[in-house]
Amino acid sequence: MYVELKNINKSFGNFKASNDVSFGIEKGKLIGLLGPSGSGKTTILRMIAGLETPDSGDIIVNDKVVNNVPASKRGIGFVFQSYALFRYMTVFDNIAFGLKIQKVPENEIKERVLELVKLTGLSGLENRYPSQLSGGQRQRVAFARALAPNPKLLLLDEPFAAIDAKVRHELRHWLKEMIAKLGVTSIFVTHDQDEAIEVADEIIIMNKGGIDQIGNPLEVYSNPKTAFVASFFGQPSIFKDYNKFRRFDPVGEVDQVIVRPEFVKVTKKTETQKYQNSAEEGVVTDVAFRGTGLELTILVNGENITARRRFDQAPIEVGEKVDVFIYRIFATAGDKVYPLENQSLREPVVVI
Amino acid sequence: MNKETTSSKVTKWVLISISFIFIALMLLLPLITVIIEAFKQGWDVYKQAVVDDYTVHAVLLTVEATVFAVIINTVFGLSAAWSLTKFNFKGKKILTTLIDLPVTVSPIIAGLIFLLTFGRQSPLFPILQDLDIKIVFAVPGIVLATIFVTFPFISRELIPVLESRGNDEEEAAALMGAGGFTIFRKVTFPHIKWAFLYGVVLCTARAMGEFGAVSVLSGHLRGKTNTLPLHVEILFNEFQYVPAFAVASILVVMAIIILILRSVIEYTGMRKSNVR
Amino acid sequence: MKRTNRSVIPGFGLTTGITLAILSVVVLIPLASLVVFTSHLSWDEIVATITRDRVLASFRVSFLTAFVASSVNLVMGIILAWVLVKYTFPLKRLVDGMIELPFALPTAVAGIALTALTADTGLIGGFFAKFGIKIAFTQLGIIVALIFIGIPFVVRAVQPVLEKLDPSYEEAASVLGASRTRIFWKIIFPEIIPAALTGFGLAFGRCLGEYGSVVFIAGNKPFETEITPLIIMSELQEYDYASATTIALVMLIASFVTLFLVNLVQSRNTKILKGGV
Repeated sequence: MYVELKNINKSFGNFKASNDVSFGIEKGKLIGLLGPSGSGKTTILRMIAGLETPDSGDIIVNDKVVNNVPASKRGIGFVFQSYALFRYMTVFDNIAFGLKIQKVPENEIKERVLELVKLTGLSGLENRYPSQLSGGQRQRVAFARALAPNPKLLLLDEPFAAIDAKVRHELRHWLKEMIAKLGVTSIFVTHDQDEAIEVADEIIIMNKGGIDQIGNPLEVYSNPKTAFVASFFGQPSIFKDYNKFRRFDPVGEVDQVIVRPEFVKVTKKTETQKYQNSAEEGVVTDVAFRGTGLELTILVNGENITARRRFDQAPIEVGEKVDVFIYRIFATAGDKVYPLENQSLREPVVVI
Repeated sequence: MNKETTSSKVTKWVLISISFIFIALMLLLPLITVIIEAFKQGWDVYKQAVVDDYTVHAVLLTVEATVFAVIINTVFGLSAAWSLTKFNFKGKKILTTLIDLPVTVSPIIAGLIFLLTFGRQSPLFPILQDLDIKIVFAVPGIVLATIFVTFPFISRELIPVLESRGNDEEEAAALMGAGGFTIFRKVTFPHIKWAFLYGVVLCTARAMGEFGAVSVLSGHLRGKTNTLPLHVEILFNEFQYVPAFAVASILVVMAIIILILRSVIEYTGMRKSNVR
Repeated sequence: MKRTNRSVIPGFGLTTGITLAILSVVVLIPLASLVVFTSHLSWDEIVATITRDRVLASFRVSFLTAFVASSVNLVMGIILAWVLVKYTFPLKRLVDGMIELPFALPTAVAGIALTALTADTGLIGGFFAKFGIKIAFTQLGIIVALIFIGIPFVVRAVQPVLEKLDPSYEEAASVLGASRTRIFWKIIFPEIIPAALTGFGLAFGRCLGEYGSVVFIAGNKPFETEITPLIIMSELQEYDYASATTIALVMLIASFVTLFLVNLVQSRNTKILKGGV
C-alpha cells in the first residue's frame, strides 16, 4: 500500500467529518473519493495533504507515518477546487513557483516548465495571467503547477467542478490519460457519480464521514454493499413495498426497493415482450428528451418508475399503456442490500 | 428610460447648484481664506513666517510623528491583517473591536488616557523617572498619541481585501514549501498593494493634522514639543494672524497633495483590480 | 489564545505576537489605566463633578450643536450623494475628491480659516453682520465648524447604496406610471435611509468629540459656547485629573451608545449592500 489511512477521526465542533476512516491505496492507481456534499471526502483529502490535522489515527505515505510531517515536506501535489492560481503571476511563473522554492537551477526550471506547458497543451500561453485564460486552461495550469516538483502523490479537490459541462467531459479523458502516462498515484474528490465511474481505477464511496464501499467502478455499481451506495448510483426509483412487483424472492422485512432505469424494459402493446407473463401494465405519465434517448416516467401499481428508451425504437406518448418488465431490484433492510433477480429470468422461456 | 422631462431637468440643475454652493462655501472658501490671509502682507512676511526657526522645528516634529505613526501602523496593520484573516482562533472578535476603538474616542480623551498612563499620578511614573524616560509633555508622548489616533487606519484597509479573497493561494504556496515571507511578498502583497498605499495616505493625513490628543500631551513648549497644528494655534492665539495662516498654508498644501494621491490610488487601484 | 486548528500557512505566532504587543502598548495599557484611575473615584465625587452647572451647560452645548450640524449634513449628504451618483456635470471628479477635504485638512487649520471667514471682519461674517447675525464666537459658529468636520460621513455612506441600487427597480416603477417624486420618496428613499442614518451617527459621534476646529471659532464663553472637550482640556491644564476623567467617562459612554446604535442600523445596511433580501 502506498497511501494508508488508519482509524482516522476528525471533528469540526459538533460536526463529525471523519468517523473511523481506514483504507489503503496501491501505487500508481487513480482513486476517486465519491460522496455527496458534507460526506467528509474533502476533509480526507486535506488531511492526506497536511492541510488539516486528524484528531486521531495515522496517515501513512510510502511506509512512513506523516501525521507530523509538514504539508510541504510530504511530496504531494495538490490541485484546489478553485485552482488557487497565483493571480499576479504568469502561467510560467505559476508553474515554476514550486521549483523556485526548491532552489532548482534557473535553466532546469525553464526546461521543466516548458516540458509541462507542452504536455498540458498550454504552449503559447506562458506569459498570460490566469485572468486571461478559459476555465479549462486554468485547470491545466493548476495541474501543471502541481506536477512541476515531481510529486509522488497527486491530490485533486473536485477538479472539474468549476468547468462547464462540455469542456468537463473532454478534460476528464485528458486527465485520465495524463495520469496514466505519468504513473503518479492520484486521488480525486468528486460528488459526481459519472465522473468517478469514468475516470477512476477504484472508487471509495463516502457517506456521513465514513466509508461505505471500496471497489472498481463496475463492482460498486453492480454490487452495492450498503443501502446508501445502492441508492446513490443511477437515477433510482425508490419505493417502500416490494410486494407490488411480482416474481421476486421474498427476503423478509424490507425498508425500500430501488429500481434503476437500466433494470427496466418498456414495450409498447404492439411489440412482443419476451417475459410477457411477468410484465406489469403501466401508464406513461411523462416523456422527456435526454441527450442519449427518451426518459419515461411510468405509473405502475401506483408507483412512478423511471425508464429509458432509445431514439431508434418506436416512439411512446404520454398516456399510452405499456408493458413494464423489471429485471432486477435492490431491496434494502437496515444497511443490508439484497440484489434480487426476477424469477422469470430463471424459468425456461416458453414462447406460445 | 424615457426622455428627461423639463421638471426633472430643473430638479437636476437645482440640486447641482445647491451642491456647488455648499461645497464652495464650506470647503473651497476656507482653503482660499488661508491662502489670502497668509499673503496679506506680501511674500516677504510669508516667507519669514515659513522659514522661522520655530516653524521649521514644528515641521520636523510633525514629520517625525507622522513617520513613526506610519511605520508602527504598517507593522501593526500587516501583522494584524495576516493574523486575523489567515487563522482561526478564540478572541478574534474582541481583537477586531479593540483595534477599531481608538478612532471612536475623542482626541482629547485619547490624550487624557496617555496622561493617566504615563503622567505624574501614574504608578508607572516613578519607574519611568528612574529610567530617565520622559513621555508626557515630551516627544514620545506626541508620537504615542499620534499612533493612537491613527491606529486602525492601515489594518482596516487590508483586512476586508484579504477576507474577500480567501486563503487558497497562500495554502497552495505553503504546500509547495514556500516560507511565510516568500508567500507574503510574492502571493499576498500584490493583492493588497493598493489598499495598503491607500491606508498609508489616510494615516499620513490624520497623523500630520492631529491636534486634540497631541495638544493634551505636548505641554506646548515652543521649539521642543510643538507640531505644526499646535504652532498654528499658538500663533493664532497670540494674534499673529499672518504667520498663523502662513504656517497653516503648509498644511493646506499637504492636504491637497494627499487628496490628489488618494484619488490617484483609488482610481488606479480600481482599474488594476478590474483587470485581474 | 489558542488556534482551533493548525494551519499550513506560516506566521501565526509571529504576526499574532506583534499584533498583541503593539495593541497592548498603544491601546490596552492606556485603557487599563483609565479603568484603574476611575476605580479610585467615589460615586459622590462623580455625581458632584458632572452636575456642576458649567459642565451641564457644556453637555447641552455639545449635544445640541453636534445634533444640528449632523442634521444639516444628513440633508446635504443625501443631496450630494444623489448628485454625484445620478448626474454627470463638469468638474464632477473634482467635487467628489473635495468631499474628502475635512479628513485631509488638519482641524486646526479648518478652525482658524472658518473663524477668519465668519468673524465680523470676514467675508461671510461681514455679510451676516449687516443683518445683526453673528456667527463666529457663538453657537452658530460651533455648528459651522462641525458641519465642515462632518461633511464626508453621510455622503460616503449613501453613495455606495445609491450606486448599488438596481436601475430596473426605478424603471419598473416608472413603467407602472409612478411620477419621479413618488419614485424617490416611495422607492429610493427607504433604501438609502439606513445608510444615511449610519452616516449621521458617525458624524454625530465625531462632532461630539471634536476639539481642534471648534476651539478657535467658539470663543469658549462658559455656559454659552464652551463644549465638553474644552472643559476636559481646561481641567487637565489645572491638573484636576479626577474631574477631567469623570467628564471624559460621560463622553465615552455617549459615543459608545452612538456607535452601538450605528452598528445596529449598519447591520441592516450591509444586508442591502450585499444584495440579500
